[in-house]
Amino acid sequence: MVKVLVVGEASREHAIADAFARSVSEPRVYAAMKNRNPGITRICEQTGGSYALGDFTDPSFVAEAAQRFSVDFVFVGPEEPLFKGVSDKLNELGIPCVGPIEAAAEVERSKAFMRRIMWKYGVEGRLRFKSFKNVEDAVAYINEYAESVALKPARQAGGKGVKVIADLQVYLSREKREVKSKHAKTISEKYMAGYNDIDDRILIEERVEGPEYTLQAFTDGVTVKPMPLVQDNKNAFEMDIGPETGGMGSISGPGLLLPFITKEEYDESVRIITKVVQAIEKETGVKYRGVISGQMMLTALWGPTVIEFYSRLGDPEACNVLPFMKADMVEVSEAILRGSLHKVKLEFEDVATVVKAISPRGYPDHRELAKGHPVVVDEESIRKAGCKLYYGSVDLKEDGVMVTGGSRVVEIVGAAPTIPEAEEKVEACIKYVRLTDGWGLFHRSDIGTPTLLNRRIEQSQLVREVYKYRVSRGLIGKTLEWIPGRGRIETTF
Amino acid sequence: MGGVIGLYAFDELWRMSRFTYYGLLALQHRGQESAGISTYGKNLISTRKAAGTVDKAFSEADISSLEGWASIGYVSAEPLNGPEPVQPVTVNSPIRLTLCYDGRVLNLAGELKGRREDEASLVATMLSRELSRCNPLEAVEEVMERLIGVYSLIALTERGEMIAFRDPLGVKPMVIGSFGFDYGVIASESCAIDVVGAEFKADVKPGEAYVFTPYSIDRRQILPARPRYCSYEYVYLARPDSIVNERSIYDVRRRIGRMLAEECPVDADVVIGVPETAIPFAMAYSNATGIPIEMGFMRTGPHVRSAIKPTQFERLVGVQLKLNAIRSAISGKRVILIDDSVVRGNTTKNVVSTMRNRLGVKEVHVRIGSPRIIEQCPFGVEVPPKDELIAAHLTDEEVASVVGADSFHWLSIDALIKALGCSKDQLCLGCFTGEYPEIVKEALSHG
Repeated sequence: MVKVLVVGEASREHAIADAFARSVSEPRVYAAMKNRNPGITRICEQTGGSYALGDFTDPSFVAEAAQRFSVDFVFVGPEEPLFKGVSDKLNELGIPCVGPIEAAAEVERSKAFMRRIMWKYGVEGRLRFKSFKNVEDAVAYINEYAESVALKPARQAGGKGVKVIADLQVYLSREKREVKSKHAKTISEKYMAGYNDIDDRILIEERVEGPEYTLQAFTDGVTVKPMPLVQDNKNAFEMDIGPETGGMGSISGPGLLLPFITKEEYDESVRIITKVVQAIEKETGVKYRGVISGQMMLTALWGPTVIEFYSRLGDPEACNVLPFMKADMVEVSEAILRGSLHKVKLEFEDVATVVKAISPRGYPDHRELAKGHPVVVDEESIRKAGCKLYYGSVDLKEDGVMVTGGSRVVEIVGAAPTIPEAEEKVEACIKYVRLTDGWGLFHRSDIGTPTLLNRRIEQSQLVREVYKYRVSRGLIGKTLEWIPGRGRIETTF
Repeated sequence: MGGVIGLYAFDELWRMSRFTYYGLLALQHRGQESAGISTYGKNLISTRKAAGTVDKAFSEADISSLEGWASIGYVSAEPLNGPEPVQPVTVNSPIRLTLCYDGRVLNLAGELKGRREDEASLVATMLSRELSRCNPLEAVEEVMERLIGVYSLIALTERGEMIAFRDPLGVKPMVIGSFGFDYGVIASESCAIDVVGAEFKADVKPGEAYVFTPYSIDRRQILPARPRYCSYEYVYLARPDSIVNERSIYDVRRRIGRMLAEECPVDADVVIGVPETAIPFAMAYSNATGIPIEMGFMRTGPHVRSAIKPTQFERLVGVQLKLNAIRSAISGKRVILIDDSVVRGNTTKNVVSTMRNRLGVKEVHVRIGSPRIIEQCPFGVEVPPKDELIAAHLTDEEVASVVGADSFHWLSIDALIKALGCSKDQLCLGCFTGEYPEIVKEALSHG
């Protein structure tokens, strides 16, 4: 009897628990979470497992739960437990853990570390950046140089605090510079406030544009086994308008690719991730065991370009791939832990998928408003419609009532031969999720529609033309400029 | 008529007044007599309105002093001290708000009689009252149910909402765009979205409303769309770099140029377009016929939209300064002269007589990219009274003689509809046909 502990409480972890529950080895699934995710709770009960409620980012809490349940191994869903050394602690106790140890998870925790190793080991798809240990230096830099840039907390801060400013019209530069300076302060004072585990505070990166996509992969530190590409949609509202969220929904397929990414670009993305896994080992001396995901963008600069790395599956991206994985989740996990991933045949159903997140009004920037509303879900109708549902930020109270936690409530997944067909299936299920106190829910009805898909295709064609041109001129990885008075300046990077 | 823009930041770090200013510059062609900007931030609405073009109306000090992360702006073809106040107009209670719209409401004449209030303030009061009673989308529905008219309207409230809606006929254009994760834009035309550095997304559809709040953007089709798009937008009003009602203005104007070549062919040595609106017509005319196009005129001073200037004197100054002929392009040739529209005939007469009397042309054939303008616009476009309209009174032969041309041709209505690529019942062709959308009669019967 295999016993596995899943750490985390969001839709991604529900999808992970569900993947384990489908394994032929019929494992008992246990969970460590803070709120009672109704979906995870049910899987624990149905498989004969159990769950522990508490701070799942705390290594001692997770270790204690793993020991109490005497699990065979642990699978960590979110990044924060990894940053705090949950994997290290479990390893010390001899409990295998799918999820990198703290030193390797640094690739996600510190965006400055990630950029540095990409430069040091010459990994393609890197961007020029500067990191700052205090606001004053960042502001001084912004006032003197920064034009079109991305400003980020130097540490992964729950995906929050990133601001990308295209500063292309000189007549609007003054206002934009002001926003950049103020935002640098906000990063330091707000988004980085609770974090003292890295030295850098603010990262300023050159801004690039193009369609984004996520490539998730399992790795045992040697072999990298990639999953199908997924594209998340970050703007809160339709037509890509509104503030940034953790992701309002995502699409994948048909098959391994997306309609706007070529096989060549997919392969290049896999190469980049593989090189980073190797670079992490060279830099830290540790083997990366778990999931690594490249948050990629197709840019004019490189073609496939790294925006960020995740030391785990994406959310919602996990829900596009895990339900359609043909390989056995227990087998894959054990192969990661044993270092035998090369023997695993990682295949997925040949489908297109659409995931849509449903959120309470107030998400993402006013979560206090989005929190505490009673939810009902007609799971039966969703199942009949051929869709899957994964619970997210929902707490199952003792009395059986489900209450929103302030973030995305559920993610609904549909699969079909094409993305628009999958979209229609998911859209038909949105009505089965309701709040009973009259507070509103919202989702993006445009994710996966032909209109939005065509926009991405057009955008990718535009970018592809430019990077192919740059390839043909031998300009990939360098810039060639004429600076009046200084002359011809060639920069290789 | 006028142009509207609204900018709404998703983060209070932003100051939107300068964005609004540049957005209004991009909409300047929709009204050059006066302009206004309102901003919202820290629970305060601030407004500044002044006479003249946008660059004259606002100083650097004005822009710097208008604080706030949300903002709306207006350019108007009506003067500052005219019968209607320049927008945005502000009402203080029950909910303080400021609003502006391009268009005209037709059924408020009764309520306005004997009162000192104006149309826009009345609409603002109506919206304010409804907002105090129900949620913003319901409030918009109440207001849209009561108004008969055309309006592309944007309002900003003391609660930090930006509300935009377009009447069910969608006579006036309205589009939406956004900039990354940072701000949304609503404007009369997509060129304003480009100029503020944002990305054009879509039309605000006829009958549709958007409500931006600090924690949501809601979109709803309030009333069913019954499109009657203004055809004059395509011929003259909108900028060629704009996309309006899912059509590129430039493409439509090129199609019109081709139609002119097909409808009334004539042999000539050169095609000359009257700057600036008629240039795409002339280019397409030349491409279709193989007759070379030349640059016929140079402008002196700033760009002025002469046709919508309020006085005859200003219109003539506008035309004369804008049209200094380039002698060698024209002299001694058989010329096809293409213009966008002829209202009173003064401009055309001025141009043709200069060509004939001072430059010496062999022939002048005038081709107009719009049908005959024979009626006024009930929706606020500055068309003079019928007794001033040359096409309403003279035959084409008479017009040719009056302006001094060898031949004179207006685009046919059928050709215009074809160039627009939609059915006749989706357009307002009132100024060309005298047949207006039903709402004009409806409003009359409501008094």
